Amino acid sequence: MKPVNKSVLEEAAQKLMFEMDEKQYDTLLEEFHTILSQLELIGEIPGVDEVEPMTFPFDVTNSFLREDVTQKPLDRDVALKNASDVVDGQIRLPKVVG
Amino acid sequence: MSYLDLNIYEIHQALLDGKVTPLELAKEALSRAKADTNNSFEYISENEALEAVEALKNKDKNNLMWGIPFVIKDNFSTKDIPTTASSNILNGYTPVFSSEVYVRLINAGGIPIGKTTLDELAMGGSGMTGHKGFTYNPYDPSHKHMVGGSSCGSAAATSSNIAPLGIGSDTGDSVRKPASHAGLVGFKPTWGRISRFGLFPFATSLDHVAYFTRSVEDSAITLGLLAGRDDKDMTSSFKPVENYFKNLKPCISGVKVAIIKEILDSISDQYIKETYLKTVDELKAKGAIINYVSMDIRLCKAIFPTYFIISCAEATSNNANLDGIKFGPRYEGSDYQEVMTKARTNGFSELIRRRFILGSYSLLSENQKDVFLRAQKCRRLIVNRVNEILKDNDVIYLPAAPTTAPLFNASADKLSDEYLIADNYLAIGNFAGLPSLTLPLGKKEGLPFGGNITGRAFDEQMVLNFSLGLQEITGLKNLSSKEGK
Amino acid sequence: MNFEAVIGLEIHVEMKTKSKMFSTSPVTFGDDPNTNIAPLDMAFPGTMPVVNKQAVINAIRVCHALHMSIDDELWFDRKNYFYSDLPKGYQITQQRRPIGSEGYLEIETSSGKKRINIERLHMEEDTCKQLHSWDCTLLDYNRAGIPLVEIVSKPEMKTGEEAMKYVEKIRSIVSFLEVSDGKMEEGSLRCDVNISIMPVGSKVFGTKVEIKNLNTLVNIQKAIDFEIKRQEAVLLSGGVVQQETRRFDEAKKETVLMRVKTDAVDYKYFTEPNIAPIKLSKQFIEDAISSSPELAEVKLERYKSLSLNDYDSNLLISNKDNCEYFDAVVANGANAKLAANWVLVDIQAILNKEDISIKQFKVSPKHLADLIKLIEKGTVSNKQAREIFVKMQENDADPNELVKAMGTTLISNESEILAIVKQVLDNNPQSIIDYKNGKDRAVGFLVGQVMKLTQGKANPALTNKLIVQELKER
Repeated sequence: MKPVNKSVLEEAAQKLMFEMDEKQYDTLLEEFHTILSQLELIGEIPGVDEVEPMTFPFDVTNSFLREDVTQKPLDRDVALKNASDVVDGQIRLPKVVG
Repeated sequence: MSYLDLNIYEIHQALLDGKVTPLELAKEALSRAKADTNNSFEYISENEALEAVEALKNKDKNNLMWGIPFVIKDNFSTKDIPTTASSNILNGYTPVFSSEVYVRLINAGGIPIGKTTLDELAMGGSGMTGHKGFTYNPYDPSHKHMVGGSSCGSAAATSSNIAPLGIGSDTGDSVRKPASHAGLVGFKPTWGRISRFGLFPFATSLDHVAYFTRSVEDSAITLGLLAGRDDKDMTSSFKPVENYFKNLKPCISGVKVAIIKEILDSISDQYIKETYLKTVDELKAKGAIINYVSMDIRLCKAIFPTYFIISCAEATSNNANLDGIKFGPRYEGSDYQEVMTKARTNGFSELIRRRFILGSYSLLSENQKDVFLRAQKCRRLIVNRVNEILKDNDVIYLPAAPTTAPLFNASADKLSDEYLIADNYLAIGNFAGLPSLTLPLGKKEGLPFGGNITGRAFDEQMVLNFSLGLQEITGLKNLSSKEGK
Repeated sequence: MNFEAVIGLEIHVEMKTKSKMFSTSPVTFGDDPNTNIAPLDMAFPGTMPVVNKQAVINAIRVCHALHMSIDDELWFDRKNYFYSDLPKGYQITQQRRPIGSEGYLEIETSSGKKRINIERLHMEEDTCKQLHSWDCTLLDYNRAGIPLVEIVSKPEMKTGEEAMKYVEKIRSIVSFLEVSDGKMEEGSLRCDVNISIMPVGSKVFGTKVEIKNLNTLVNIQKAIDFEIKRQEAVLLSGGVVQQETRRFDEAKKETVLMRVKTDAVDYKYFTEPNIAPIKLSKQFIEDAISSSPELAEVKLERYKSLSLNDYDSNLLISNKDNCEYFDAVVANGANAKLAANWVLVDIQAILNKEDISIKQFKVSPKHLADLIKLIEKGTVSNKQAREIFVKMQENDADPNELVKAMGTTLISNESEILAIVKQVLDNNPQSIIDYKNGKDRAVGFLVGQVMKLTQGKANPALTNKLIVQELKER
């Protein structure tokens, strides 16, 4: 497991596209301490690693697939009405490089 | 007396008899919403309500939602009505489509009174973390107690009789816990029973549409309308929908009722415990078969971390679409990273950002096996045990919460080692996707508390029928914070 | 020191379904920006993905053509990362359980046949399109959510030619299966190359370099051949190959550095919780395969059985649209050999001249078939047919009508032709002698003379018969 320290958390925040201040990282480190010790307890539960991870609450397998039929798309004005910086019917960003 | 203070099926009769009109009900509901002092609303939908009244077609004795006011949590997408999930990152966002739940309510003739407050992005249980501040428990005019969350606004509005129906969502206990604190019936049906199309996701594998009513009867009525397959939600079930209201009858005799000892034992409030045990005695007297069962204490203690890890991990991904580019407040920057980073730093509260880091840590390839996948495995162990219990029993019945509504406490949102099993166990209903209903059991010092009934997947009728029997035992039906005032 | 290259390819194919992978908005190319969007494509909160059946059918067909095992349960995963072109902040893909695994295809290069093994094929969705101008980037979500299949080869190719042939084969498969346009220039087939070199016989792979944005088959070959030489030069001069991403500079004909790769990005994959596992029945998979359009290889066999020669058959299958046209002409009752000749020679000349595709060609396959039938019956001569054909190109006129209107119906009256035949023979005694001396060519010359006198209106078959008959009598 990746060690938990401030620089690891800073990197995580940067990848998640936000910033935090010193005090917030301190709180977070405390929280990590708590959750990781609880996690250790989970690891000690007999049989925990002998079962498959569970994503769905119960077996929900079915065979439904959507027919390949189109529906009327959104009007462009509607689609873009919540975007703040629109030029020529497109959302503008600072130039993306690489 | 106002007709708005009645149950849905009673209001329905009054509407049929012409004793009250949808417009009168809507106006009353709107005026109560405007007078709300509990911070229940993100948005009061006056125009939309009046338009909905205007658009009503002929009344229909079989459509019990006709003309009924409702409120809906602000994490349900509503076309042309601002929807923020009580987060600054969605300030000013006006959806271009409506959630399936909202569409069904409107099509049935429901009248939308407003969008209700929640813990930011539904990620909390206190009703304290939304961008509009604390939502208060209507039973405490001094505003010292929380109503609980994350569906705090819908709980407060339903309990103060602004509407007889409050739509919410439940990922860990976000309807069933506040229902306990607000003296309401809070029902979370089986995962997949109600379409989640248009519900802002928090943790997809745990999220459920759930709702508050003031009686078990109203809960059955609402389920009949909302349940059913929706091709827009691939996780919605194909199982046929029953007529839950028509088939509703009190059912106790012969019902096998499991009580999980470890959870009950973790409750220290003697009054709540005794009140609960009294109902157990009465159930037994009426012919219920009571079985005390056990769940490994280590599994009980694992409920919270398991929930926490899975929900934070899914949440960090589910909310990655919030970047200020397509919608939400936009910030300028020299590159797209700066644009996104400013939007997300300013848009999410500190708590949310901390949760996202925890979630993303658990998903890192280096950690996933030991953190996220292990939590998912633990989830299976817990679910296996719960389903074992429900193999031999029809329902699990326990207090819904270990206490009445807590006082506001500044550190409530911080992760702490001190937690009670009984304060977090309702999440097993989300792990296993089981139908689970909270209803009032009593009051302590003026604040209500509830019990919770959880049944087998898609056995909503059993849960409702048993709950109706229990409601008859307690006699606590149509509670309202208004009486206390 | 001698080196050998290790080349692996990742090919993204954009599918031409009607609607997108997970939403109901139309899949189109070249429309105005942001006019083909469903709420999901812009990741509005609360939207949910719903899997497109045709995309699954298409993926199954490609898997089958690549001899892959096909998973009978569909699972999707999220690939989590932030980028300006990624609306949801994650891409829905199939990381853990790709629909297809362990397949191969056979290529033919100048040094013979070779089997290239394929690791996996998975379904995913495209990102939005970025239009870069000098000072900003504009986002067009029309492309967001278009279904993709990604085909990942094993690193088993050794030369630029092999890689080029491999891509060519994949392109042929996806276009014959009608899964995709397969147009590299338009980005509907995109190819990323991973390439490293190592001393011949070594078991240890060298450092991998990625080449992106290769938009023609020729460039794939050129880029790889250049890159192999570049890496050899680096190693021979005592340097080390850096792990990096390069692109091909068409003008310089060399690969140039885009960026040095730092740590691999951690995509934090996990199962897509919005999509419950989808069971694919045996029947569903079989139906997808049996109803599949014909692959080039299968067509080739069929054309040979229609007694087309290898050259014509291969020429036909090099262009799927031509095949479709040809198949339709034959289906309308025309002789296959004649049809192939018309499609490959006459029509091709016009297409080249007008720079259009056969899809834009005016004459319908039905009417071309009718014309060929007229030739076969001897109702019109080849020369007349070509004149009629010119008229048909104006508005796809019915050749039968044209024949009537033009009065070009052949002289098929035996006595009328016989009179002319006699006249021709009288005027060409040398030809009679030639014929008697076994020179069959003389017949052709005489037929030509008859045609000349009748302005080509004599029924050629009849003329031929009468000339031979008359020659024998003299």
